[in-house]
Amino acid sequence: MGKRVLLADDDQLLASLLNFRLKKGGYDVHHSSNGKEVKEYLKTEMPDIIVSDIMMPYFSGIELIDFVRNELKSNTPIIIISSAGNEQNVLSAFELGANDFITKPVSPTELLVRVAREINKI
Amino acid sequence: MSISKTTDLLDQLSQLERSVSEFSFEELSVDEAKELKNSFNTFKSSLECQIFDPNQNSDSLKKEPLMVLDKQEVSQKEFITHVSHEIRTPLNSIIGFANLLKEEKLTSSQQKKVEAIQFASNTLLKLINEVLDYSKISSGNTSFESIDFKLHGLLNDVMFLCETLLVDSQVELIIDIDKSVPKVIKGDPSKLSQVILNLVGNSIKFVNQGFIKLGVFVKEVNENDYVLEFSVTDTGIGISKEKINSIFERYSQADNDTYLKYGGTGLGLSITKEIIEKQNGEIVINSVVSKGTTVSFTLPFSKGDVNNISVEKTKNLDIKEAKKLLEGTEIMVFEDNLMNQHLILEQLTKWGCNVHTNVTLEKGLAILATKKVDLILMDLKMPNLNGFEVSKAIRLNENPLIRNIPIVAFSADFTEQDGKDCDSIGINDFLLKPYTLNDLMSIIVKNKRENNPNEEFGLILQKQMIEPKETTIVDLNSLLKDCFGELEMLNELIKLFKTNVLEFIGNVRIHLKTDNLVEIAFSAHKLKASFAMLKATGMHNLILELEANCKANKLDKVKELYELFLNDYPLLENNLNIDLEILNKK
Repeated sequence: MGKRVLLADDDQLLASLLNFRLKKGGYDVHHSSNGKEVKEYLKTEMPDIIVSDIMMPYFSGIELIDFVRNELKSNTPIIIISSAGNEQNVLSAFELGANDFITKPVSPTELLVRVAREINKI
Repeated sequence: MSISKTTDLLDQLSQLERSVSEFSFEELSVDEAKELKNSFNTFKSSLECQIFDPNQNSDSLKKEPLMVLDKQEVSQKEFITHVSHEIRTPLNSIIGFANLLKEEKLTSSQQKKVEAIQFASNTLLKLINEVLDYSKISSGNTSFESIDFKLHGLLNDVMFLCETLLVDSQVELIIDIDKSVPKVIKGDPSKLSQVILNLVGNSIKFVNQGFIKLGVFVKEVNENDYVLEFSVTDTGIGISKEKINSIFERYSQADNDTYLKYGGTGLGLSITKEIIEKQNGEIVINSVVSKGTTVSFTLPFSKGDVNNISVEKTKNLDIKEAKKLLEGTEIMVFEDNLMNQHLILEQLTKWGCNVHTNVTLEKGLAILATKKVDLILMDLKMPNLNGFEVSKAIRLNENPLIRNIPIVAFSADFTEQDGKDCDSIGINDFLLKPYTLNDLMSIIVKNKRENNPNEEFGLILQKQMIEPKETTIVDLNSLLKDCFGELEMLNELIKLFKTNVLEFIGNVRIHLKTDNLVEIAFSAHKLKASFAMLKATGMHNLILELEANCKANKLDKVKELYELFLNDYPLLENNLNIDLEILNKK
C-alpha cells in the first residue's frame, strides 16, 4: 500500500487536481474540505504526511499544526499551502512545526517532489 | 503520362502528407526549417515547370503535326484538372495540420516555422485554384452571359474597388470613357469586371508612382453592334520586348524573379486572355521598360436597352435611407477572395454596418460567441471548408444564439442542387453574384435578425466595457499537462472551476448588501487561485485588485471591479468553453 496523505483543502478545484496527481503518484489520499473533518479524522488515523491549506473554514492550517504537534504529539510531516502575500502566516506555521510550504498557484509536480522529500526524511 | 504513373505520383503525395502530419516540428532548428522551406519551394517550382511550362516539351512537340498537338493539348488540360484536384486533398491536410499546430503552445521560433509552412502551402493552394480556374475556362466549361447592363456604372464600381486596393500609394487612378461609348450594352458584365480587375490589379502591383488609367472607346460600330476597346495604361516597371511575347503563356511571369518581388502566380493574364478570346475579343500588350505598360483589349457588345434592366437595378440607392435601415447591423462575411472582401466591406461600412471579414470557421465562432451578429453572408465556393460546410457547422452549434443566426449564401453560379443543399442545411436566402448594391441591401434588410428584447437582456452581460480582452483570456494547456493529458480530469476540474466562480458571485452579492468587505476579500482570496490555474492572468489580476481594495476599505472601487467581473466573466467562460470543446474534439 502507498503512503497515506491527508489532503486538507476547501478549494474543490485545487484539491481535485492534487488528489488526482497524488493518487497517480502512488499515494493513498484522504481528502477533507474543512477543519472539523480533519480533526475528526486525525482522532482515529495518523497519515504519513499532511498537506494542508493555510486558510480553511472552522480550523485554520495554523490551528491544525498546533493540534498535531501539541495535542496529538505527532511528528508527521506537514506541508502548508499558502497564498502569496501570506508570509507572516508561513512564519508562524514554521514556528509551530510545519516542515515545508508551497505557494499558490500550486504546481502539482512541485508538490509531489516536496511530499516525496519529506517522506524520505522519515 | 500514363495513368499508372499519375497514380504513383499521387501515392507519393499522400505519403508526403502523412509524413508531414506525423512530423515533429519541435525538433526543427532554424536552419532545418529554412531548408525545408527551400526544398518545398524548389519542389513547387519544378512541378510548375514540368507540368505547366509548354516550352519544356517544345522540342519533341514541334516536330509533331498540328492535329496531334491539339490532342496533346486536350489531354494535358484534362491532366491538369485531374492533378489539381488531387493535389488539393493532401494539401488541405497540410494546411489543416499546420493550422492546428499553430494553435498549440509554441516557442516564437517554432511559431515562425509553422507560419513559413502555412505561407508556402497557402501559396500552393492559390496556385492550384488558379490552375483549375484556367483549365475550366480554356476547356470551354465556362458559359458567358448576355444581359443588358450599364457600362459606366460597372466601370465606376470596378475602379472604386481598385482604389481600395491602393494602400498609401502615390498612384492616381484615372478613368476616361469616350462620349460615343453607349451607356447601356449587352454582354457579360461579370466577366468584363473580372478582366478589368485583373489588369488594373496587375498594374497596382507594379506601379509605385504615377498613374493607372482605364480608357474606353468605340473601335468599330455597325448599327447596333459595337466593338469596344478598353485600355489599361500604367507608369509601372514595364516589360522588356523579349518577355512581352511570352507574358500570356500559361504560367509565366516576365522575369524569374518577378514572383519574388511581386508575388502572384502568373496565371492571371492567361485567364484574362482566355476570357477575352472566348468572347471573340483580342488582347495586346505594349510596354517600355521602366516607362510603363499598356494592355488593350477589344470586346464585341451589342447596344443594350435600358428598359431590359430591371427597375430595381436602375433605381438609385439612397445612402441615407440605407443607413437608417442598416446602421449598427453586425454582419459577418465568409469570403476567401480578398478583392470581394474589400468590396463588401466598403459597401457595408458605408451603410453603417459593423463588418467582420477575413474569418475562418473557428475565428468566426469565437466572435459569434461574444458578439451579437445579425446576419452572416456566406460565399459558397471557398477553398478548405466551403460555404455549405461552414453553414452546417454554425447550424450545429450548441449555443442557440449562434445556431439561429440568419445566413445568406452568395455565389457566382447557383444550381438547383445548390438550392436544395441550402434548404437542407438551413441557409435562409441567397444572392447571385454579381449583385447590385440594391440587391445586397434588400436581402440584408429582409433577413437580418430582428432585435429581440430577451436576447438583448442576455447580451447586456456580454457588453464590452473597459479593456475586456485581457480579462477574458484563458489557457488550458498547462492545466491539461497537470492532468497528464487526461481530458476527463480536465473536464471535471473545469466544472469545479465554474462552481467556484458561481459561489464567489453569490458570496459577493450577499456581502455587498451589508458592505462586508472582510468576507468579500476572503472570497476573492479563495477565487484567485482558480483563475491562476487556468492561466487567466487578466482576470486573476482583476481579482487581486478587488481583494486589495477590500483591504483598503474602498467600497466604491470594489463595486466597480465586481461589475467589471460580472461583465467580463461570461466572455471568459465562453472562451473557456470553446477551448475545452476544441481539446475534447482532438
